[in-house]
Amino acid sequence: MIVDDSRVSRLMLANNLAKTNFEVVAMAKDAAEALRLYEAENPDLVTMDMNLPDSDGIECSRKICAMDPGAKIVMISAMKDANLIEQGRAAGISAFLQKPVSPNDLLDTLMLLCQEKISRIAFLRESYAKPFAASLKQGLLDLVHLHVEPKTEYYEKKYLEVNGIAIIIGLTGSPNGRAIVYMSDDTMENFAKRMLGGELEDEDDAQEAVEEAANIFIGHGVSAINGIFKNKEMRITPPGTFYGSGVKMTTQKLVTFKITAMTEIGEIGINVGFAEGD
Amino acid sequence: MDAKLVNPFIEAFMAVMPMLGFQAPTRKDMSVKNKNAVSKGVVVMVGFTKQLRGNVVYNITDETARFIASTMMMGMPVPEFDAMAQSAISELSNMLSANAATNLTQMGLDVDISTPNLTIGEGFSVKISDSKYLVIAMDLQGHNVEIAISVDRNY
Repeated sequence: MIVDDSRVSRLMLANNLAKTNFEVVAMAKDAAEALRLYEAENPDLVTMDMNLPDSDGIECSRKICAMDPGAKIVMISAMKDANLIEQGRAAGISAFLQKPVSPNDLLDTLMLLCQEKISRIAFLRESYAKPFAASLKQGLLDLVHLHVEPKTEYYEKKYLEVNGIAIIIGLTGSPNGRAIVYMSDDTMENFAKRMLGGELEDEDDAQEAVEEAANIFIGHGVSAINGIFKNKEMRITPPGTFYGSGVKMTTQKLVTFKITAMTEIGEIGINVGFAEGD
Repeated sequence: MDAKLVNPFIEAFMAVMPMLGFQAPTRKDMSVKNKNAVSKGVVVMVGFTKQLRGNVVYNITDETARFIASTMMMGMPVPEFDAMAQSAISELSNMLSANAATNLTQMGLDVDISTPNLTIGEGFSVKISDSKYLVIAMDLQGHNVEIAISVDRNY
C-alpha cells in the first residue's frame, strides 16, 4: 500500500513497483484513508510519506502498528535525519528512504522486509501444509482407490467459496488454525459410493462418508506433524459440516494453503490455514 | 451433553458484551435440537480441544453482524459487512471463547481453542453434532444472537 498526499509521488512509486513482483493493492492520500485501507486490504508492506494533510507519517504509522503489530512500514520522505529516524523507529517504522528513491533501493528494502514473511510461508508450506497433501494422497488411495498427486499452493484470496460440502476441523496447539475439506455435490456422491462400495441407502450417508474421510485426512496429517515436532502437540477439534451453495469462508488473519487433488470423480480440496504471527 | 458445560459460554457472552459497549444481553430461550442449524447470514464457529471437545457456533443475520461491528467500533457506520466488520466479529468471537475458556478453567477443565471460522452466506446448513445439541437465543438490544453448543468432556 502506498500512502502519499501527492498524486505524482503515488504514481511514481506505483510505476516503479509495476516492474517488480510487488503488487500495489491500495493507495491512500491521507491518514484516515490509510487506516481504512490497511484494515480492508491487509497489505504486506506500506510506503509512508511524512507529510499528510490530516496527520503525519509517524502518527499514521503508530496507528497502523497499534492495529497490526506485525505491520511493515517504509518511510519515504524528502527529509531524513537522526531525529526523524528515532521517532519513526519508536512508532514502529522498519526502514527509511529519501525522495527521490531509486528503484533499486526501493526494491532491495522491500525485499528485505518481506524476507521474514516469505520464509514463514515457505516454512509453513513445507512443515505444516505438505503433511496434509501427503495424508490426502494416502487417504484417497486407501478409502476410494484413487491415485492422484495433490498440488499444494499458497492461497492469497480472502475467501474460500464452497458449493457443496465443507468440513471444518479446528487445529489447536502451535500454530493453531483450521483445515477445511471440501468438494461439490456430485463429487461427494461419487466419493461416498466408492467409499461404501455401492449405492447409497440414506441421503445422510454421503455426508457422513465425507465427514469420516475428512477426519482421516486431517487426523493423519496432524499425526505426521506431531511425529516431526515432538514438543508441539497439535490437536484437532470435532468436525463441523457446512453444506450449501455460495458459502464464503474467510481466510482473514490466516496464512492459508490450497491443496488440490484433481480426480476422475472431481476436485477434492483441503484449505489449511494457520494463525498469523504465531 | 452435560448442561453444566453450557453455563461458561452463556456467562462469557453476558460478561463480554457490556465491556464492548452493549447493554446487558438477556437470555430468551434455550432448546435442544437435533436437526442441522441454518445460517442466518453470518456464522462463526470455534472449536475446543483438550479436556473439553466440541464446537460453539454463533449464528446471526448480516444486519446483526453490522450492528455488533458498528457498536464495537464506537458507533462508526457499517453499511456493508466488509473486511473491517468481519475482523471485528472474529475478534469478538476470540474474546468470547477466551472468556469461556477462563470460566472452564475455574471448573477444573483445561481447554485449547481453535481460530474462529467466519463463514458468510444465507441458508447453508451447519452440523456440529451427530446427536443432540443446545441452542441458546440471546437478545442483544433487540438483535437475536443464536449460540449453538455441542461440547463434551474428554476423558
